[in-house]
Amino acid sequence: MALSKVGVVATAQTEFRPAWNNAQHIDLISSVVTSVFKGSGLTIDDVDFIIDSGSDVLDGRSISNCGFLGALGAHHKEEARVEEDGLWAALYGVNKIRSGSSSVGLIVAYSKPSESNVDLYWNAQVEPFYQRPVGFGQRAANGIQAQRYLAESGLSTRDLADLVADRWAAAAASGKVSIDDLPDADAILAAKEGAAPLTELMFTRPVDGAVAVLVAREDIARRVSRNPAFITGMGTSMDTHSVAARDAGRLSSAVKAADMAYRNAGWTSAEADLAEISGSSVIGELLAIEALGLAETGKGLSAARDGKVAINRSGGALPADPIMATGLVRLAEASRQLSQPELFGGGTPSRAIVHGAGGVGMQNNCVFTLEV
Amino acid sequence: MFSAPDSYPIDLPTFHSEINLPYTLTPGRAAGTFLAEVKNRRIVASRFASGQVVAPAQDFSSTGGEEPEAFVEAPHTGVLTAFTRVDGNVIGFIRLDGCDNDFPHRILADLGDLSIGQRVEAEWDDSVEQSVLAIKGFKPAPDAPVGTVQPLATTEEPLGVIPYAMKLDYEHAYGPYYGRMFDEIRENGRFMGVRSPGSDVALLPPREIDDVTHNRTGTWKACADTGTIRGCSIINMEVYGQTRKVPYVYAEIVLDGASTRMIHVIEIDSLEEAKEKIKPGTRVRAVWTDGERKGRVSDIERFEVIEG
Repeated sequence: MALSKVGVVATAQTEFRPAWNNAQHIDLISSVVTSVFKGSGLTIDDVDFIIDSGSDVLDGRSISNCGFLGALGAHHKEEARVEEDGLWAALYGVNKIRSGSSSVGLIVAYSKPSESNVDLYWNAQVEPFYQRPVGFGQRAANGIQAQRYLAESGLSTRDLADLVADRWAAAAASGKVSIDDLPDADAILAAKEGAAPLTELMFTRPVDGAVAVLVAREDIARRVSRNPAFITGMGTSMDTHSVAARDAGRLSSAVKAADMAYRNAGWTSAEADLAEISGSSVIGELLAIEALGLAETGKGLSAARDGKVAINRSGGALPADPIMATGLVRLAEASRQLSQPELFGGGTPSRAIVHGAGGVGMQNNCVFTLEV
Repeated sequence: MFSAPDSYPIDLPTFHSEINLPYTLTPGRAAGTFLAEVKNRRIVASRFASGQVVAPAQDFSSTGGEEPEAFVEAPHTGVLTAFTRVDGNVIGFIRLDGCDNDFPHRILADLGDLSIGQRVEAEWDDSVEQSVLAIKGFKPAPDAPVGTVQPLATTEEPLGVIPYAMKLDYEHAYGPYYGRMFDEIRENGRFMGVRSPGSDVALLPPREIDDVTHNRTGTWKACADTGTIRGCSIINMEVYGQTRKVPYVYAEIVLDGASTRMIHVIEIDSLEEAKEKIKPGTRVRAVWTDGERKGRVSDIERFEVIEG
């Protein structure tokens, strides 16, 4: 029996803010879970299972999803937590439907990094005997990636700042991300050092928020959604934990994840219309663009800014990184750009690439292909 | 498509919370041996069957997973292969002479004086033992001769466990519903819940969406500070993280007017008397603290049995 095809029926997300001071996790979660059904004709009763993503370390409680089940709409339903970016939660959910065991699934990811210390969150992921004591962690890994990338590509930090400024401007234009002061390239260059040669603004900005994505078997998706985006390929790959032992200058696990997804889909990056990509810094985004085959090694910048494939029209992860939800937001953004092109400047885009990442120095990568 | 929770400014700061986790980390044979040997100023490395040498020592290859065939001693000199600066500290990758991997460590130099490929040498810190920081860092050493990997006939016993602690701080937002509930506790000394959809009984703590039906909850309702025990356990065992002296009773109490259980404690003098008197169905009342209410569950010091 052939595997079922799975479509994205609807998405909902909160505004992404540096801090949602007046809302707790359950407030953000129940808000998107309520909203995602609007206009779809489906209700929480139609949902067979819920897969959610979040971080116990960021949330400040163990098995934090247990306290969020009611808000998730998971009462007496099958529920599972994926302790990785929400794009892996979607991978889990899509496979449940493809296998024929379920027909409608709700994927939710949430993040409130404003409540904790993001450096400590990353530090907790680092090896404790050799690396944590010397201060090697997420920022150092990105700084080293950046130093190598600039040396190899010949780019300047000004080039990086220009791209970051573009991304923030795109996020501001989208209206979905709270931005008080839109930084220009000069402000990005002048920001405090994050990890030389990167300034803090060349890293992603952690934000609070939640996202929900309703997925369904093809026949249901076609019945309830006008122009659903179908998930036609998925791939995931994890690199070694030791950042120093990974290939320098490329995200090998992202290459493998993309190959797997493109093999499923039967097409490659050259045939995509748009892409929504994650990255823990501006260099992470460039490395991901190259790993996904959207540019040659060291040439990610021109593809990022004005390539044939529209990359990160939402602004991507740089201005808004709800840690653990960022990849699922990319899926939501890309599916809306395919399903409702009228809202994104028109055209008839038919293929999208979605990318999520996790771990120090983007150790873990996940890629989806979407089609309408 | 686009949503925001019902929200309004709350007259409460965030709730500060700390998680302190004590650990005894087990470094295993390779890292344990490396950490035991730093007092001898030796950098223990692993040599694999392929001939590859990895420093500091590893029990498994981080790429292939195979086990090493022997520990060897790596030289104290090498080459800088990458570097960055975080919070003013320079961190780099060092490829020790004769080794096949990069060792992340501190670099004892200004960023501007560094270049890829330059020679470096370990600087030791005699005041530190059993830590990778016994090597204070690596400093530029342009003229340092190229070292070689040496066999290790004997090594110190590997460290068994290493005490470790992780402290995490949080500033939790209350949100509009918990915010009002705690505000009411502080200002008025009362418990406010919200009505279940289509019903007069209150959910406590209050929330926007009912957990069971996922429908929007109803209007606010004050609950009494008396109630009925619906589940309880006499705690007479000390465990890490306890905030009260044993024995006491852990009780799940349904306040009058509410439908949900609230967790609190009942203090007891006698285990036997407690077993007799405290059980599901027992009526209890809140004993509020004498001091200023802070807007916390602990503003109720404890519950006590309503006699008769």
